[in-house]
Amino acid sequence: MAPPEGGAVKGLYLRWSILIVVFSVIGFLAISRYDREVRTISPKVLLSESPNTEKRLMGMIDAGSLKGGSDGMPFRFSLSSEGAKAPVVFSGDDRESLRDLKTIVVIGRWQADKGVFEAGEIALTPNYGFITSAYVFSLIPLILLIFSMERRVALLYVMIKDEKVYQAEV
Amino acid sequence: MVATRFIGWLRRFEKWFGFVAAILIAAGLYTGLVTSSPDYYQGEVVRIMYVHVPFVQTAMLSYFTLFICSIWYLWKRESVVDNACHAAAGLSLFFTAGGLLTGSIWGKPTWNAWWVWDPRLTSFAILFLTLVGYLMLRTFLEDKEKGATFCAILAIIGFIDLPIIHFSVEWWRSLHQPSSISTRGISIAPDMMVPFTLMGVGVSILFAYMLMVRTQMLYLQHLLEAKQGRLLSEGQFE
Repeated sequence: MAPPEGGAVKGLYLRWSILIVVFSVIGFLAISRYDREVRTISPKVLLSESPNTEKRLMGMIDAGSLKGGSDGMPFRFSLSSEGAKAPVVFSGDDRESLRDLKTIVVIGRWQADKGVFEAGEIALTPNYGFITSAYVFSLIPLILLIFSMERRVALLYVMIKDEKVYQAEV
Repeated sequence: MVATRFIGWLRRFEKWFGFVAAILIAAGLYTGLVTSSPDYYQGEVVRIMYVHVPFVQTAMLSYFTLFICSIWYLWKRESVVDNACHAAAGLSLFFTAGGLLTGSIWGKPTWNAWWVWDPRLTSFAILFLTLVGYLMLRTFLEDKEKGATFCAILAIIGFIDLPIIHFSVEWWRSLHQPSSISTRGISIAPDMMVPFTLMGVGVSILFAYMLMVRTQMLYLQHLLEAKQGRLLSEGQFE
């Protein structure tokens, strides 16, 4: 049975259902990419989960903990966040990015037997909250505006068709 | 008769505009959020550009449409053109607000400020206030024909802000970066250019679609009111 508003409105709902599915797939792919290439873990999570795959560890270099680095030797420092500290050995090239009290993201693996996070690369600090906010605050009102306009037009055609022409009282 | 033909034309072509816009925006979001690389300096936050710049460009495109329609209305006095003016103003306000909001969100991680009194930002905020004034004038003037005339004049005067917005980054030394695409060349990496172009063209076509739907909506609203006798009753009371 057709909805009370008429077939035009039914077509509108069908069109929008397809759009929602398409944009949900894009959203899912974007979240997957974020998980794969951007998401970081804190020293607290690192120590509690002891992951055996490559991870991005984010934290602040503790004051006075940065040592080594001379004669091609790796840097040693501790990263802290959320009240936990993780010892890090960094053997990458980007040595100028390391300073005391700087928040950084290092990419590497947790060596549970040595109790140290061996990193070879420094990544950019993620700020995905701003990106999500910008997309949510612009695209969701846009989608709602278009949907409400389309629905109003579909209903107006039905209402005009059903409305009797006004006859002024004499 | 002109109005009926015009609305018929809108009904015939609007679906194509909506379809093309949806495809381009879906491709733009996919490339912008999934496949394009982060910026060397800004990192991931550069992805805000793919929604901020199209919104700002479309806000200016919609005001330009309002300007053209206002001249057309003062020349021909067609009520359906006034509906198009009203629709363009509402959409321009929407995209201007979106441009200000996304710009503010982008400003915080890159400039460390939600807002600065930079010439580009200030002139864009003036566009927002002009559009708020335009829509308030429409609401408060009871004589619809007089209201349409005053609003058309206001829209034409307000158009002076558009070149100021566009050239503000050239005329004054400002915090806002100059245009990435200009006569000097293109200063965007090729893999960022793909989502940038797809979203820019997609949102512009979406604006054309929204203008078609909103103009129809305002026209049909007036038609329904006339059919119900509300417009006739108002005339009788005068």
